[in-house]
Amino acid sequence: MSILKASKLRKEYQLGEHVVEALKGINFEVKQGEFIAIMGPSGSGKSTLLHLLGGLDSPSDGEVTLGDAHLSQLTEYQATLARRHNVGFVFQFFNLLPTLTAEENILLPLIIDGKNPNEYEERLNHLLDLVGLHDRRSHKPDQLSGGEQQRVAIARALVTEPAILLADEPTGNLDTRTGTSIMELLQRSCRELSQTVIVVTHDPRAASYAARVIFLRDGNIVKEFKPSSKTPLNERMSGIMSTMQALES
Amino acid sequence: MTLLRQIRYLTLRSIRARWLRFILSGFGIVLGVAVMLSISVTNRAALNSIMRLFSNTSGSAKLTVTTSSQSTSGFPDIVLRTIRNIPNVEVASPILHITTIAADDASPEQIAFGLFGTQGTGGLTLHGIDPAMDPSLREYKLVTGIFLQDNSTKREVVLVETYAVDKGLQVGDWLEIITPNGVESLKIIGLIAREGAGQINNGSFGIIRLLAAQELFNRTGELDQVDILTTDPNPSPIELDTLKNNLQLRIGRGLSVTYPSSQGERMTQMLQNYQIGLNFMSGIALFVGAFLIFNAFAMTVIERTREFGMLRTIGMTRNQVTGLILLEAGALGIFGSMAGISLGMALARGLTTLMGVILNQELSFVEVPFNDMFFSWTAGVFVTFLAAGIPAWQAGRISPMEALRVRGKSGEGWLISEGWKLGITLLVISTVLLIANPFPFDVQFRLGSLTVFGLFSGATLLIPNTVHSWEKITRPIIKWIYGASGSLGSRNIQRSRQRTTLTVAALMVGVAMVIMTRSMTESFAGDLRNWMSAYIGGDIFASSSVPMRSDVGQRIDSVPGVEAVAPIRYFNVDWQTADGVEQINFMALDPVAYARVTDFVFSDDNTNTEQVVQRLQKGNAILISSVLSEKYGLKTGDYIELRTRSGYLAFEIAAVVVDFYNQGLVVQGTWDDMKRYFRINDASTFFIKVNEGQSIDEVKRRIDDLYGKRYRLILISNTSIREQALTLMDQAFSMFDVMALISIVVGSLGIVNTLTMSVIERTREIGMLRAIGMTRAQIIYMVLAEAGLIGVIGGVLGVGTGMVLARILFIGMTTMSGYQLTFVMPPEGILISLIAAVIISQIAAIFPSRRASKVKILEAVHYE
Repeated sequence: MSILKASKLRKEYQLGEHVVEALKGINFEVKQGEFIAIMGPSGSGKSTLLHLLGGLDSPSDGEVTLGDAHLSQLTEYQATLARRHNVGFVFQFFNLLPTLTAEENILLPLIIDGKNPNEYEERLNHLLDLVGLHDRRSHKPDQLSGGEQQRVAIARALVTEPAILLADEPTGNLDTRTGTSIMELLQRSCRELSQTVIVVTHDPRAASYAARVIFLRDGNIVKEFKPSSKTPLNERMSGIMSTMQALES
Repeated sequence: MTLLRQIRYLTLRSIRARWLRFILSGFGIVLGVAVMLSISVTNRAALNSIMRLFSNTSGSAKLTVTTSSQSTSGFPDIVLRTIRNIPNVEVASPILHITTIAADDASPEQIAFGLFGTQGTGGLTLHGIDPAMDPSLREYKLVTGIFLQDNSTKREVVLVETYAVDKGLQVGDWLEIITPNGVESLKIIGLIAREGAGQINNGSFGIIRLLAAQELFNRTGELDQVDILTTDPNPSPIELDTLKNNLQLRIGRGLSVTYPSSQGERMTQMLQNYQIGLNFMSGIALFVGAFLIFNAFAMTVIERTREFGMLRTIGMTRNQVTGLILLEAGALGIFGSMAGISLGMALARGLTTLMGVILNQELSFVEVPFNDMFFSWTAGVFVTFLAAGIPAWQAGRISPMEALRVRGKSGEGWLISEGWKLGITLLVISTVLLIANPFPFDVQFRLGSLTVFGLFSGATLLIPNTVHSWEKITRPIIKWIYGASGSLGSRNIQRSRQRTTLTVAALMVGVAMVIMTRSMTESFAGDLRNWMSAYIGGDIFASSSVPMRSDVGQRIDSVPGVEAVAPIRYFNVDWQTADGVEQINFMALDPVAYARVTDFVFSDDNTNTEQVVQRLQKGNAILISSVLSEKYGLKTGDYIELRTRSGYLAFEIAAVVVDFYNQGLVVQGTWDDMKRYFRINDASTFFIKVNEGQSIDEVKRRIDDLYGKRYRLILISNTSIREQALTLMDQAFSMFDVMALISIVVGSLGIVNTLTMSVIERTREIGMLRAIGMTRAQIIYMVLAEAGLIGVIGGVLGVGTGMVLARILFIGMTTMSGYQLTFVMPPEGILISLIAAVIISQIAAIFPSRRASKVKILEAVHYE
């Protein structure tokens, strides 16, 4: 069943006197529980695509449908509520509030939504289990390592049980080992929670965890890579790398 | 609940994380509210004291009868019988006012001056009363001894206890006083507390029998005042008004029936302009506080751009984000204003004492009324919300995509890039409005104040576009003072133009206030000096605490070394204007003697003194002050009607003179006209001119030796009296100086805030500079240079706006009050303000620069 659908998605930016076409009519669909990676060289439009899919920005043309909602037709306020309830975000720089503890950061979306965080103790514990931070729950961000901070950010993105989880370069600010564990975590959330995950990345290792990799160049989808679930990780990675090299050449 | 949770998780945590900035910006509002409250309390204490002064004098009287022209001759006591026969009059209690001094007092050397007319006599005030009646009107709290019994000529006195203690007197002793007939003795039979009527003349007060007073002071059959109690103790306003009209009708026009409180109102009016000025200054202090808050919140928003972006991304609505900032502002406003009220109460005590000195009155610190506290508190909270409004709105507009950017973006809005257009418009509009002053009806200067704010805002909006030029112009000097790292620092002010703008603006307003206050003080002082040399003409000024017959003047004239003596007599007179009756002061002088001793100060330089003197000598002519001339549009050759002993009489205006006596509500007439029409024949003062080559002090000593004791003369040289008046004026303006100083302090807090912020923001950069070899001292110079440039821009702009504003307000004040002053811009004041602005900026930079110098290199380069 399709949970997210982009059709004829176009986005233009005014840069001085020039109009830059970041996306040139993109069509694609995401199914419930799918793990997708979006790759492409710098300026290919992958971040723009993520912004449009998450309702952070509105397209110049075309449509994004999340569940039953047509994101581009929503008012600013409606889009905010749609994000609040249906989209989880994970950022490259974690973006945790330095003044809140790990568990308070995780509960933040619920607090914003006016929910009583005490009623979500069970969900919190479950998420802390999932990200493996039970013993670090009372720590402030500056007492956590980069990897731990990103785990908190993932738990925060999952706390509202969103329809999709969007991650923008989630491993961009982490070392290889930590990055691997974060990608494994996202994969687990996809497997165990049936969570739909879309990751924008330029790291082939990160992308190799996805069930489907979409390649963008100059605002168009130029290739899709869909390895079988049995393909080993390093084989997937070399497949992705060779595609990237071909695109960048 | 949602709100409470947001407060708990976001607002309180954010305050805790930035507590220093919170407190610093809080100081702005604390000081603003404190100044506002203390000024309002001080003003109230001043007004209360004045009203009490009059209510002490008139006690519980419902109506008071006095003579319309308050000459010392008073009015015949037959009037008392007429008053008592009028229905509804229960008690009519007569009073004779006596001003004298105790005989054993050393020759008084001081003349008590009061800018607002409440001069204490410096001597002893005695009330001649009817002991059977007066205590029913006034409260006399007997401490020891007995009160006066019957109304006879028996020479007994009841004194205020504190006065008696000061003089070492007690019940049973004799008090020796000076009378026109020489020294006389009064037996002290009782002492009263310094309460109620005991507070008259700051406690230098006593009561004697009416008949005794009349006899002692050669005023048999005369009264100065009759206080009236009605049959109905609480008459309705209509009944009282009927009685008042009835009384006025029966006693005739030579006397006036007034409500006791109205006597205080005139003085209250005089104080009003001064108080409007103080209120305006306190408003400015709050305005600067608002700048500080705006700046602090604007910084917070920029600093937290990514955080707000993240919150927006995960579903916080715009209103929720705006609400977050407003919640912080609310906390700041509520607690800051509360602290401001506490500080205000403390400040009020100091200012009340200062005001007491200015008014020459003992002001008792009144309880701070709840209303004032509430008003100041509300104003503080409101201003905080208003100041935080724009940053809060901006926070709500932050795009969720900011969360995805590597660094928080410090976008510069339209106001920074294009605001100069609005700035110029505001400057032009507010300058035109201030010069044209289309609000003459707005006596409280509320609209005028708004225009002044407009002027400041206009100047503020011009700052962002000029920052670059400032930096370029000052670069060589900065480099010379602070070295190479200094020029690196001064360039930093261009990096966040909004922050620089607001910091400079807060300092600018403070400096402008100082310039304004100083130039006003100097302008007044300059003209006061000129006028006083004429007003207290000649070289020596002689007055007495007892009436002086005019022959005293002739005697002084015969003292060796005296060239000329001019007698002067001041008294009040009613003037029939088109709008009604106005009471003004009549200054009687002998034109020929006066011209010998001093110069007439004509407002028109081309006036021929000889012609004017000739016209005056012909009689029925007067000189009017420039204040009256402006106020009523009168010129030479016009006629005004003054009430004489035989009714209204027209006097021709012979010329317009500069005269600030009695707030400029004064006319000058001849000695002959005074004797003929007002039947007064004694002098208030003598102006004495010393022969050229003679020592003033020597002649003064000669006069004192010969007549000092006999006539109780107070002799004072022209120079020292001028100094006294200037000191008094300085004290009056010192209140404004206090306000201006507070504005500057608030402005300097802004610098601390801005620099701290800029150091935090640049931690990584500072670490890098340290890594590549910058020393701690160089880092300190770098921050000091940045602060120095802020100080220079704020100082120069403050001097500029201050000069413009002072000039405009000066024109406005001249038109409104009629004072013809010469505008003075003190060059040393300008220089001092500029230097002060720079020094303040350097002091404010001490903490941030030290903080910057202590940045740890390794941590800093990892600082995200």
